[in-house]
Amino acid sequence: MLIHCMLEEEILSNERLNKILKSFGGLRNASRASVICYSALLLILVIAFTVRLLPIRWEIPSGTMRLNEFDPYYQFSLTNQMVENGLLSPYYPEPGWRNEQLWYPDGLDMSRSLPSLPMTAAVLYGVVSFFGANIDLMAFCALLPAVLGTFACLIIYFIGKDIGGKTIGLFSALFLALSPSFLQRSSLGFFDSELPGMIGLLLFIFMFLRSIDSKRTLFSSILYSLAAAGSIAYFILGWGAAYFLVNLTVLFVFILLLLKRYSQRLLISYSITFGLALFIATKWPYVSLDYMISSAILPVAALFVLLCLAELLRYNINQKTKIYLTIAAVSITVGAIIIMWQLGYMEGIAGKFLTVLDPRIRSDSPLIESVAEHRISSWGFIYYELGLGVMFFLTGIYFTLRNPTNRNVFLLIFGATSLYFASSMVRLLVIFAPAFALLAAKGIIGLLKPFFALLKESSLTTGKSKRRLRRVGKEYGGGAIALIFMLLVLNLSFTPQNGGIPRAITQAYSPITISSGSLPIAPNEPVNEWLDMLNYTNSNLQSTDVVCAWWDYGYWLGIPGNVTSLADNATVNTTKIENIGFIFMAPEDQSIPILAQYDAKYILVFHTVFIGVSQDQANYIASPGIWGDEGKWSWMASISGANRDRFIQNGWIDESIMWTDENDFGSVDTNTGTWIWNTAGRDSTIYKLMSWARQLYTESDAAQEVGVLPDEIIIEPTYFKPAFISGVNISPFEYGGVIPLVALYEIDYESYYNATST
Amino acid sequence: MIVEGKKLFPRRPDQHKVGKPLIPNGLGVIYVLFTTIYLFFVYFTGIVGPSNNVSAPLTLAVCILFGGFMGLLDDWIDLKWRFKAFMPLIAALPLIYFAAESGLRTSISLPLLGVLQFSEAYYFLIIPLIVMIVTNTVNQLGGLNGLETICPSIILIGLMILSSSYILMIVPLLVWLILAGFNFQGKIFVGNTGSFAIGMTIASFAIITDLKLSLIISILPYVFNSVLILLTIFLIRKRASVIFNGKKLYSEHKRSLVTLVTYRRYLTERQVVIIISLIVASFTIFSTLLDFI
Repeated sequence: MLIHCMLEEEILSNERLNKILKSFGGLRNASRASVICYSALLLILVIAFTVRLLPIRWEIPSGTMRLNEFDPYYQFSLTNQMVENGLLSPYYPEPGWRNEQLWYPDGLDMSRSLPSLPMTAAVLYGVVSFFGANIDLMAFCALLPAVLGTFACLIIYFIGKDIGGKTIGLFSALFLALSPSFLQRSSLGFFDSELPGMIGLLLFIFMFLRSIDSKRTLFSSILYSLAAAGSIAYFILGWGAAYFLVNLTVLFVFILLLLKRYSQRLLISYSITFGLALFIATKWPYVSLDYMISSAILPVAALFVLLCLAELLRYNINQKTKIYLTIAAVSITVGAIIIMWQLGYMEGIAGKFLTVLDPRIRSDSPLIESVAEHRISSWGFIYYELGLGVMFFLTGIYFTLRNPTNRNVFLLIFGATSLYFASSMVRLLVIFAPAFALLAAKGIIGLLKPFFALLKESSLTTGKSKRRLRRVGKEYGGGAIALIFMLLVLNLSFTPQNGGIPRAITQAYSPITISSGSLPIAPNEPVNEWLDMLNYTNSNLQSTDVVCAWWDYGYWLGIPGNVTSLADNATVNTTKIENIGFIFMAPEDQSIPILAQYDAKYILVFHTVFIGVSQDQANYIASPGIWGDEGKWSWMASISGANRDRFIQNGWIDESIMWTDENDFGSVDTNTGTWIWNTAGRDSTIYKLMSWARQLYTESDAAQEVGVLPDEIIIEPTYFKPAFISGVNISPFEYGGVIPLVALYEIDYESYYNATST
Repeated sequence: MIVEGKKLFPRRPDQHKVGKPLIPNGLGVIYVLFTTIYLFFVYFTGIVGPSNNVSAPLTLAVCILFGGFMGLLDDWIDLKWRFKAFMPLIAALPLIYFAAESGLRTSISLPLLGVLQFSEAYYFLIIPLIVMIVTNTVNQLGGLNGLETICPSIILIGLMILSSSYILMIVPLLVWLILAGFNFQGKIFVGNTGSFAIGMTIASFAIITDLKLSLIISILPYVFNSVLILLTIFLIRKRASVIFNGKKLYSEHKRSLVTLVTYRRYLTERQVVIIISLIVASFTIFSTLLDFI
């Protein structure tokens, strides 16, 4: 008996041991899968971060990191203000901070800025400083985009995981990490509004989709709604494109209503999210309560009424009342909108956003069209960006359509609308990037899943429709996976449409604008001409000295250059931009009085020169390039020429010499394809300033040494005296035959007045 | 390789052999993998460098990989007609981009008709059409040992003779010929994987090397076959079928090229394959000669 009991106990304990061992085995398997998953994720994030850091190569020689392009300097100046004077200092006390060094004489009202990005940077900078790290603020701001970009990849992993498991999460993180358009706008130095936009967008999608998930408890649903509200408020206060997300969500919820998927949870999440988000956002002076009645935000309220109606209709009330309720609600909504519209309360959507909806409007406005990132993207450009990933994107759409869960419906609307906007405006490809990443990941997994199942199971497959499934071996699964893998390799690593170089690398591995001297080249060494000029203005000019330049360089001059500039990318005053165009295009005699009106002490042009060989092969010839003002002056001519009557009426210029567009200054030689200036062109201020800089270059020692001649006879400007020409002393071959010349001229009012008074 | 192949690959019965022996199917995947690796090699060694920043070998590799993948899908789950017809359009994208970026001619010069200028329509209409038609017609002419491998290789050789960048296709052609040899002896099938991949190869190679006219002429027997099949399906809703009496093939109707050749005529499988190959070869030779004139 005893022995029997002992035996039994032994058997039991053996069973228990087995169970424990098995559960350990299970744990080991589970943890092995998740170890692989998390190491893959970590690897993707490391790749995302390092690819974004590639431009650092051109920053190392100078020992610090600078910001890319132009707008990031504006964000930087806000951050600087916040770090020095407190987070709310640009906005409160009213009327807020006015930066007097920009848009002279009015100054730039910095309280009309969006706070998300500078605040994030200032807060994080505070945290980093608190832990004792002593880092330059500009270097910190330059680094931040890479960090936030990597963070965005992490968020999309979680969104993908919610949509279809870890694998989809991993693939979407990988696609987003290497998406060229997002990469460009989150790599080193690109400290701009897209960053808070993307973070807000992704966080919102993650939180909101979780909040409407009916499987969650009400409490966690409310928590997620609150977080979603915070995210969308962050987006609204970070990037103007928030209209897109707001309306996307409205459209999504509306479609859920149409699909008869209304639930109380939807009403709760929707009202908490938008109520709180708009409450936070409208607290900001720039956004203000007007935001609520702009025609882009009103649908939020209209949909809220519809949701309340849907809630009421769920109750057991008689048919008649239901009909009355419906009619009343719809007519109140429509009536309210019509009345508000008629009374003029409804704010129109800002021009830029309207032009996204209808790109045809844009071609009428040279000011908007002159910005490259506002152009319409062609199919070729989209294919160049995405490659054969388009195939996975399409299959992703197919699989999403076949299984229209709430999340998938959202994904579908997100993909379709963002694709439309991206094809309408190049810059918005960045919003399409996450939709593409998620759908392409879904496509890949959808394609691979059956083959994986095939690989795991025996050679006989079981499926829904046995008739159509063939007996195939495991090898088929392996073959298919190998083919997909190679397609991915081709798409991400040996991009055919980019000559075999990964698209992501060409996007990321180029110097930031200021360190490449504003040339679109990737030299071995940084191009220091612009940096030298800004150093010069910093140490030799007063911060109150007004320097006239085309608007592109306004931020550089006003912020790192520490002088006062007339116009910049904020384009708050289009009349002033027309006037600057006039200054550059008019003959000297006509432009000096306008320069005097603006108290300008200096005028600056950026001129690139190409070094070629003369026809007899005996000499080098310096001729105009394409990347400086010689490529931009036609915009100056057309922007100012569009308002020629104003200049004539003001008495600034005689009607006989006032132009309408660039064709009044010369024409393209049909044989050589080069621009030939006519007399009016040769008389214009911009022509004289650029070509004199080129003349001075050919007279420099570096150019004389190898015998560089100017391409034509050049006359010295009468009233502009060269103060500093950066780049005048570099060897013709330093940057492969391109010479960037940044020329600063002092305006000689004295001789002008002497000449005109006699 | 064959011994291994028998173990590795799924099998399908050979309908036109006594006893219907099981033959390993889907060996086209070998062609796809070898071709891709070879094209990578061509790219890395710089034998054919990128022109206007677009790489020809890699573009070809993408198209062939895609064709192979489509075939795999079709081998496993019979793809619906609408998918088969329109899926090759995706593979047309890299080709359109290649043609647009490297500034290939947008015209086709036809004998008698002269030069047809398509301009933009060439990218958005003609290239997708070529890819769609060639891939699907090549896929449709098959079912006999050797038929689906020998005929495409004849067309490919024709194109290679005319092209200066024949180097892109040398190893792929060799691999395909080896497969064709085994296929002709009835030892393997290349499957839809193979026939879609080779169709895609022919279409994309012709577009990349700008040999549209030669392609159009050599592909005519295929087009004829497909038109015949599709017309009978649409008009009398019947499919072509060939009768096998244990030794020879025979048919009672003319609903495809194979049944046309065997119409009320007893021919062995090999004879049929050789006759059709000769038809294809004559068209290919004609197109090649036309180019030399």
